[in-house]
Amino acid sequence: MLKIRNARDFAGGAAMIAISLLFIWFGRGLEVGNSFRMGPGYFPMMLSLLLIVIGASIIVQSLFVAAEDGDPEPANWKAYGLVIVAPVFFGLALSGLGLAPTMFAMIVAVGFASKYANWRQSILLATFMAVCSVLLFTRLLSLPVSAFGSWIPFLHAF
Amino acid sequence: MDLLSDLWLGATTAFLPINLVYCFIGCLLGTAIGVLPGLGPTATIAMLLPITFGLPAESALIMLAGIFYGAQYGGSTTAILINLPGESSSVVTAIDGYQMARNGRAGAALATAALGSFFAGTVATVLLAAAAPPLAAIALKFGPAEYFSLMVLGLVASVALASGSLLKAIAMIVFGLLLGSIGTDVESGTPRYVFDVPQLYDGLNFVAVSMGIFGICEILRNLESEHERSVGVKKVTGLMLNRDDFRRIRGPVLRGTALGSLLGVLPGGGAMLASFAAYAMEKRMSPNRAEFGKGAIEGVAAPESANNAGAQTSFIPMLTLGIPGNPVMALMVGAMIIQGITPGPNVISDEPAMFWGMIVSMWSGNLMLVILNLPLIGLWVRMLTIPYHLLFPAIIGFCCIGAYSINNSVFDVFIMAIFSVIGFALSKLRFEPAPLLLGFILGPMLEENLRRAMLISQGDPSIFVRSPLSLSLLLGAIVVLVLVLSPSISRKRDEAFTE
Repeated sequence: MLKIRNARDFAGGAAMIAISLLFIWFGRGLEVGNSFRMGPGYFPMMLSLLLIVIGASIIVQSLFVAAEDGDPEPANWKAYGLVIVAPVFFGLALSGLGLAPTMFAMIVAVGFASKYANWRQSILLATFMAVCSVLLFTRLLSLPVSAFGSWIPFLHAF
Repeated sequence: MDLLSDLWLGATTAFLPINLVYCFIGCLLGTAIGVLPGLGPTATIAMLLPITFGLPAESALIMLAGIFYGAQYGGSTTAILINLPGESSSVVTAIDGYQMARNGRAGAALATAALGSFFAGTVATVLLAAAAPPLAAIALKFGPAEYFSLMVLGLVASVALASGSLLKAIAMIVFGLLLGSIGTDVESGTPRYVFDVPQLYDGLNFVAVSMGIFGICEILRNLESEHERSVGVKKVTGLMLNRDDFRRIRGPVLRGTALGSLLGVLPGGGAMLASFAAYAMEKRMSPNRAEFGKGAIEGVAAPESANNAGAQTSFIPMLTLGIPGNPVMALMVGAMIIQGITPGPNVISDEPAMFWGMIVSMWSGNLMLVILNLPLIGLWVRMLTIPYHLLFPAIIGFCCIGAYSINNSVFDVFIMAIFSVIGFALSKLRFEPAPLLLGFILGPMLEENLRRAMLISQGDPSIFVRSPLSLSLLLGAIVVLVLVLSPSISRKRDEAFTE
């Protein structure tokens, strides 16, 4: 009777197989060709098949070799959420809000991913980062992004 | 003397005031991030890559190289003073270095680390200068089949020396290679896996990918187990070494340098492996073995020399063959591509000023680090009092704007966010992210050479074993795999990583 002795590796192997199937599925329109005249689909197809074999081996291994006991890892869902959403917010708000308000809001918000965060320090840091990034990136390196975007009515001209 | 005239060319480049300034900035930044735990050279270089767009090629690479070897210095300072290694390569230094500091010999430990590193850096620079041109000359004779086999060897060796499960590391390489195939196929012009997104036609941007996997993902992991750092350091006195110290560190420094130089060249090697191996070797060989763990000066000298030597010789395969052996070198390859330089054996002849300038700058950078670091120790220690909850929002801010500035588009910011999630999920499943990045960088080159070789041989795969050079490279890859899988070596490997 087989049972999963290492759940983490079992999931890992399954993830690898899922990834290869995704590449095969989305690459189904690509011409594979043969080993002499390889089409654009040849290399990804071979790699996907290889990854399926490796994923299957990891799964087989997880059925026989037990996991070593590690320390339980604390999960910090608030931190995961904030840190991952922060760049997404930055990307969505940058053109509308402009660099300074986007940076300010993002830094203040993401600071609370830490349990030691407090408002005063976060706002100070965010102000500092906003000023620095505007000076460095819009003035010095002249990135095509304005300090204040079109959603901010009066400061937009700056 | 060709070497002398080459080095002279390098010196005239490296000692230009502007390049000295960038070298200095690189070393300073490197030391700073080496001191700070939770921020490594990989993430820093990824963050700074977009800023180097505007610099001349040699200045950019000199600065980025400075960050890498500067980090080795910085990591040891905090390892010795407060038992908190800033870099993984300084973990073993903390064992004896911190004990020395507790015995009131912090100054001697710091001086040993600095002098050992400087000596190792000098030797490794000379080695790099001497070994690179002949290696590149050999590589120039390589056809597509040889290149393919060389890359296979490089990829296999890089996983063999990494920690953790071999099977999972290979899975990461293959996943990286697959990610590398996203974008327009060079041979046929067919778009692959682009989903009609115009930004994907050039492929995933590797700066955005590495910032997600290394920069943001690192923060996620650090926030899981967050605790306040309390820093209490006594004043450091007695930086001079006495005659007895010199006698005791001579052997370890020499052996550490030799071992580090050797391990640095191997793909997947580099600074961390070198320091672990050197410490383990010294512990077995030293006449003062009983003192190890209680503040033996040899236990500081050997790993510190080794990690610096390893950091520098890991440039050899990258500069001569265009094949990166670790994630930092992969980023350096990226930096070259950004500058319009094709990494590979032609770099030495096409860009002599950059190549030799970079090599000479490593030596001058090491000198700067010695002069800089001993008096600035107070400053570095004070930097540690910056709490992490103020540091990580700043890192996220710089990553976001860095990703944006690659193509002046927020698309790369989203790519970075996606890859931070992927990287985090993979690390939860105990997959190492480093082989993924190597595979991602080498993927397009590997495919191109495979297809060319198969065209030449008209679809006959025996081309890879008919050429003696290609055959021996492939055999090398098999030998490495067998060695790693053999029980006695794999036990030693586990020991080295758990010690």
